[in-house]
Amino acid sequence: MSYLDNKIPPKREDRLQAVIAHSDSICGLAKKGKSKSCLIDDGERGFTQGSICLLLPALAMLNTLPDNVVLLHSALGCGSCTHSQNANVRIGSNARQGKAKDGIWLSTSLDESDVINGGETKLERAIIEADRRYRPATITIVAGCVPGIIGDDIDGVAQNLQSQVSARLLPVHCEGFKTKIWATAYDAVYHTIGRNLLVERGVSDPKPEDELKVLQEQERLNRTVNLMNVSSMGRIDEQELERLLTGIDLDVNVFPVFSHPDSFIKATRAALSISTCPTHDDYFLGYLQERFNVPAIIRHMPIGISNTSLWLRDVAAVFGAEEQVERLIAAEEAELHGALEEFRPTFSGKTVFVSAGEFRALATAKLLQEIGFEVVGIRSFHHDEFANSEYEKLAADAKSDYVVDIANVQPFEEANLLKRLKPDLFLGHANGNMTAAKLGIPTHVIYNTGLAYIGYRGVYEIARRLYRQLKNPAYNRNLAENIRLPYSEEWYKTEPFAYINTRGRAVNE
Amino acid sequence: MSEHFVERARYLCSLGGAAATITALPGAIPILHSASGCAGNFAWTQNGGSGLQVGGYCGSLTVPCSNMQESEVVFGGEERLREQISNTVKVMDGDLYFVVTGCVPEMIGDDIFAVVNDFCDEGVPIIGASTGGFRGNSYWGYDLVLQALFKDYLEKGLPKVKGKVNLWGVVPYMDPFWRGNLTGARRLLELLGLEVNTFFTPDSTLESVKKAGEAELNVVISDIYGQGGARLFEERHGTPFLTQPLPVGPSASSEFLHAVGTQLSLPESLIEQVIDGEKQRYYKILEPLTDCWNDLDLQRYAVVVGDGNYAPALTRFLADDLGWLPELTVCTDQVREDEQQLLANRVARLSSGFTTNLVFETDTSEVVNHLNRHWPRSRGQKYYNAFSPAFVVGSSLERELASSIGAPHLSVTFPVTNRAVLDRGYTGFDGGLRLTEDLLSAVIAAR
Repeated sequence: MSYLDNKIPPKREDRLQAVIAHSDSICGLAKKGKSKSCLIDDGERGFTQGSICLLLPALAMLNTLPDNVVLLHSALGCGSCTHSQNANVRIGSNARQGKAKDGIWLSTSLDESDVINGGETKLERAIIEADRRYRPATITIVAGCVPGIIGDDIDGVAQNLQSQVSARLLPVHCEGFKTKIWATAYDAVYHTIGRNLLVERGVSDPKPEDELKVLQEQERLNRTVNLMNVSSMGRIDEQELERLLTGIDLDVNVFPVFSHPDSFIKATRAALSISTCPTHDDYFLGYLQERFNVPAIIRHMPIGISNTSLWLRDVAAVFGAEEQVERLIAAEEAELHGALEEFRPTFSGKTVFVSAGEFRALATAKLLQEIGFEVVGIRSFHHDEFANSEYEKLAADAKSDYVVDIANVQPFEEANLLKRLKPDLFLGHANGNMTAAKLGIPTHVIYNTGLAYIGYRGVYEIARRLYRQLKNPAYNRNLAENIRLPYSEEWYKTEPFAYINTRGRAVNE
Repeated sequence: MSEHFVERARYLCSLGGAAATITALPGAIPILHSASGCAGNFAWTQNGGSGLQVGGYCGSLTVPCSNMQESEVVFGGEERLREQISNTVKVMDGDLYFVVTGCVPEMIGDDIFAVVNDFCDEGVPIIGASTGGFRGNSYWGYDLVLQALFKDYLEKGLPKVKGKVNLWGVVPYMDPFWRGNLTGARRLLELLGLEVNTFFTPDSTLESVKKAGEAELNVVISDIYGQGGARLFEERHGTPFLTQPLPVGPSASSEFLHAVGTQLSLPESLIEQVIDGEKQRYYKILEPLTDCWNDLDLQRYAVVVGDGNYAPALTRFLADDLGWLPELTVCTDQVREDEQQLLANRVARLSSGFTTNLVFETDTSEVVNHLNRHWPRSRGQKYYNAFSPAFVVGSSLERELASSIGAPHLSVTFPVTNRAVLDRGYTGFDGGLRLTEDLLSAVIAAR
C-alpha cells in the first residue's frame, strides 16, 4: 500500500526520522552517516524562536500553478505570506508566459463561531462561489491549524462537492502544528497531485494509424526527462539545467511549478525524473516510479562544479551518453575555471558560514570551497539520511572539523556562533541574513528565484555576486556600528547549544 | 464581496497585527505563544506588503515563539509557555516582554495570563494579550495591543499635564508609511505647542509610553483603528479622546488643527496663525508646478482603493487639494455597518463639492466590476465620454486594474510590494506635497 492511498501524507519525522534540534560537527555527521546506525534522536530546545511551517513552502508551489485558485481553510492570517510570494508568481509568469500575472488566493477566514460550530459548511459555499467566480482549472483547498484542531474534513468536503463544480478540487494538508519539519510541505503538495491530477484529461494522442507520428512521439518521450522544481529555482536556473540537458540531447519537462495542472499527466510518460534536491522530491519520485514505472535520479544537487558534473553524469548514464557528457563536462569545467581566476585572489582563505535547507546549505558550502573559501560553520534547517553523502563530501575537504547546527533557523544560536567564529562572509536563506548583517559580516542570500545559483553558470554568477559584496560591505558595517542585536550579554557568554534538550530541565551551561 | 471567503486579504490575523505592533514599540520583545509558522508568515507578509520593511529590533524570525506542536495540543501548552518565558528573559535583552497568542493555544484553552502573572510577580516587565488569529484581522490585533498597554503597562493615577497629548491610529507595517504618517501628524500638533507621545516612532521611549496617562487628550487619527484602545484609556485613565481622519494634505490638516485646537480650548488666533503659515508655505512650494500642471494637462480621473484610513483620506486630498476627480472610492476593510457610516461621512461633503462613489469591497478582482457599473464601458459609439485620463491609487494589487484601463498607478496602501518605504509619509501639509510628487511622477514616468 502506498502512502498516497491515505488522505493525509505522513510527516517527515515519522517517514524519514528527520530532526531539527541537534548540534554536531562536519566530521561527526560524516562518520554517523557512514555507520549503519546513523539515526539521530531529535532534541528539543527550551528556548525557541519562530520560524515557518509547511504552509509557506506549500503555498510557494501552489501559487505558481496557472489557472489555479488557492483556497485557504483557516483563520484569516494564514496565507498572507502570499503577498511576497506573489512577486515570484508575477516575475515567474512573466519569464515563462510573457505576462506578469497575480496569483489568486482566498481565505475562508474562520472566526470564533466557526471554531465552535465547525467550518465545513462555510468551506462548501466558498468552493462553489470560487468555482463560479474564477472558473479555475483547479481549486487547491489548503487546511491550516484551525481545521486541524476543530476536525473539519477537507477531503470529505472536496469529495462530496466534486460533482457539482467544474474545477478539480485538490485538498492539501498544511496543519502547521502537526509537523515541525516544514519540508513535509513538498509531500503535502505532491500528495494531492499524485492522488488527483495524474489522470488523463483531454489530452489528444495521435491516432494509431498515423504511424510516423506515433513513432516520433515515442522517440521524443524516450528522451524526455522530468526536471523537478518545487520553487527552489527561478527561470534562470531552469534554463541553465535545460541548456546542459539539451547538450546531451534530452527534452526537458519542468514540473510542477508554473506548469498547468492539466499538463501534469505528462510527468507520468517521461523516460526519467531528475531531482535537484532529495529534500524536495523523494516522496513523489518514489510514487512515479512505483505507479508509472518512471525511474528517478535523486542525489547530488547541481550547485557547485563537482556536484553539477556528478549530477550530469548520473543522467547521462541512464541514456548511454557517457562519452558525450564527459566532453561536455570537460569543456564546461575548463571554461568555468578560467573565468573564476579573476575572483580567486579575493576569495582565497576567507572564511564563510552557510545557512539554509540541508541539501542547499551543503551543496553551497561545497561550491564555496571550490572557489577558494574556507567553510567554518553550517546551519542546516533539518537533517535526514539523504544528506549523509553530502556531509562526507564536505568532511573530505575540510581543513578543520567545524560546527554543524541542525536548527529550524533559531538565529539566537547563530548570533552566538558568529560572535565566536567571526567569519568573513555569511550566506543565509530568506529572512536569514539579518543577524549576520547586524554583526557587520558581509552577507549574501543563498536562495532567491530571481538570481542564478545552479549549474556551471550559477557558480560563476554566485562568485560574481560575492565578489561584489566583499568589495564594499559598507551597508552591514555601518549597521553594526549603529544597531545591536536583541540578545543579552549573558547569552553570548553561554555555550551556543545550551538550550538543546533542556525541556523541563535546568539550562546546561 | 463574497460572503464565504475573503479574496487576497489585505491584512493578517489579529496575531499578525499584534506582533508587528509590538516590534514597533521601543525595546519590546514579543513572545508568540503559537504554532511555529506564524512568525515566518508575518515576516514574508511584511516582505511583500510593507514597502520592504521587515522586523525591527526583535521582529522577523528573531521573535521568541513557543512553537507549539501536537504534544502541546494534546497536553496543553502552559508549561511550554512558562519554560519559553523564563528562557526568553535570559536570552533576549528587552525592556518589555509581551506575550501574544495564536489560534492553537486559544482553541485548546491555555490560560496565558496565569503564566504571565507569575512572572509579573517575580518583577519581570511582562504583559500579555489574547490575539488568536480567528478573533479578527491585524487592525484588531493592533487595538488589542494598545488595550493591553493601556490596561497593564501605563502608570495609573498620574495627574494630567496641560499640553500633553497621545497620538495613534496608524498601524505599524499595515500602513507601510506608518513612521512618516505618525511623524507628520505629530508635527502638526507640535505647531500648536503640544507635547506629543506617538509610542512607535524612533524617538519614542518606553518611559514616555508609561507616562501616557498624563495626557489631557488622546488624538486618534482613524475612525476604526485603535478605537477600542481609546475607549479603554478613557475608562482607566480619564483622558478623553478625539477621533479625526488621517490628515493628508492642506485641507484635512487645517481641519485637524482646528478640531484639536478647539477641543483643547487653544486660542482661535493661534490656530489660524498656524494654519495660515502652513498654507502659505504649501502653496509657495506648489506655485512653480503650475505651468507644467497646465501644459501637460495633469488633472486626472481616479479610482482610489485603500484601507479605512487611506480610502477616505486619499479621496479627499485628490478632490479638495489636487483638483482631481476620484470617481470611485473602494474601502477594502472588513467594516461593520456603523463604521461604514463613519467612513462615508468623511467623503460625503467635500469642500470642492465633488462627490465620489464609495463602496466597501474586500475582493480585489471585484473592483473593476464596481468601476464598470459606475462608469459604463464604451459600446463603440463615435462620441464617448471615457474614464480617461485616469489614475489608480491603491495597493500593488491594483496594478492589473490600472493596466486594464490604461492608467498609471501608485501603491500607497497595503500591500505595497513595488516601493521602498522608510520614513516617507503623506500626513500634514508636507505629506500633501510628497503625495503630489509621487502621483505626478507616476503620470510622467515615460516623459
